[in-house]
Amino acid sequence: MRLKDQVAIVTGGSRGIGRGIVKAFAAEGAKVAIIYKGSQQAAESLVGEVTQAGGIAKAHQCDVADHDAAEKVVEAVEADWGPINILVNNAGVIRDGLFVGMRPEEWNVVIQTNLGGAFNFCHAVAMKLARQRKGRIINISSVAADRTNPGQTNYSASKGAINSFTRALAVELAGRGVTVNAIAPGFIETEMTEAVRNKAGDMIKKMIPMKRLGQADDIAKVAVFLASADAGYITGQVLTVDGGLSLGAVAM
Amino acid sequence: MPSQTEIFQKVSATLVDALNVEPDEITPASTLQGDLKAESIDFLDIVFRLEREFGIKIPRNELFPESIFQGDPEFVQNGKVTQKGLDELRQKMPFADLSKFEKNPEVSAISDLFTVDMITKYIAGKLNGAPAR
Repeated sequence: MRLKDQVAIVTGGSRGIGRGIVKAFAAEGAKVAIIYKGSQQAAESLVGEVTQAGGIAKAHQCDVADHDAAEKVVEAVEADWGPINILVNNAGVIRDGLFVGMRPEEWNVVIQTNLGGAFNFCHAVAMKLARQRKGRIINISSVAADRTNPGQTNYSASKGAINSFTRALAVELAGRGVTVNAIAPGFIETEMTEAVRNKAGDMIKKMIPMKRLGQADDIAKVAVFLASADAGYITGQVLTVDGGLSLGAVAM
Repeated sequence: MPSQTEIFQKVSATLVDALNVEPDEITPASTLQGDLKAESIDFLDIVFRLEREFGIKIPRNELFPESIFQGDPEFVQNGKVTQKGLDELRQKMPFADLSKFEKNPEVSAISDLFTVDMITKYIAGKLNGAPAR
């Protein structure tokens, strides 16, 4: 077990990629706090799944865009299990639409959740990790940070910012043994990508050299690696995990 | 009101925790950056810890002022701190010992003002209720 007794927080942990990360971390021996906003049922079913498999997980309701709430939830996790070792900022939302028709709320909620949520949780744990002189922060970005589609100005901006934030924070915490990395998933089969997949699934597959969509587990395995001792000398990096999508090859 | 020695001992213990150094590496004259290898994040950590340890509030930029001169040519000329700059330092850091620095006030040597003794004096002033500046 690569994460034995490590205390981990996974935001947006009840569904999609986050759910995969929670399961993978728990299977590697970590105690995992699942942060969810609205999907209480999904969060609780996940706790049940993890427990059944012999792992440890607990669900916490929290809007990651709320700074005070993030601090409180971190304190609650520490009260349960002791000092935090791993933070995964995965919570994210999309509000796709062409820019000219985008409402300010659609811009704001995406930035406040995807970028603000990472700020809030990093802010709540950074000094703690620095004091422990070890720790892992993993931000879930997206290939959309660099290779975007129409209708995603807000989402792309939030993910591009996550990549820059990851590098900048990595520099500040490196001296204290805390690594900060990001994973940029390509098209992963989750609820978030469902609408796009329904509309353009076949076309997307043609754009992916590996000819399949990614699964949450493809990302979770990389998250486990980055959280493990094996990745101790990697920091400030954005790892693209997309089956080759971002290589931009044209299907033959 | 704890004695200067008691304050030094507590400051010293705080630095051992914050900077991961051995107790015998710390003397009143130790400089935080040069001798104890503190980085910028450590200065914040030290402030948080001192606040908790002594039950005091340390306003930002009071104990460890950042960019004191902001590149102002009145304060710094040819890499040296001017008389006006020294006065500014005295006012902003009344608890720092400038006697050695004054003799050769190279801007790059300002970090040497941040010593264990400086922190001890600052804390003593705070506990005395004396205004820090």
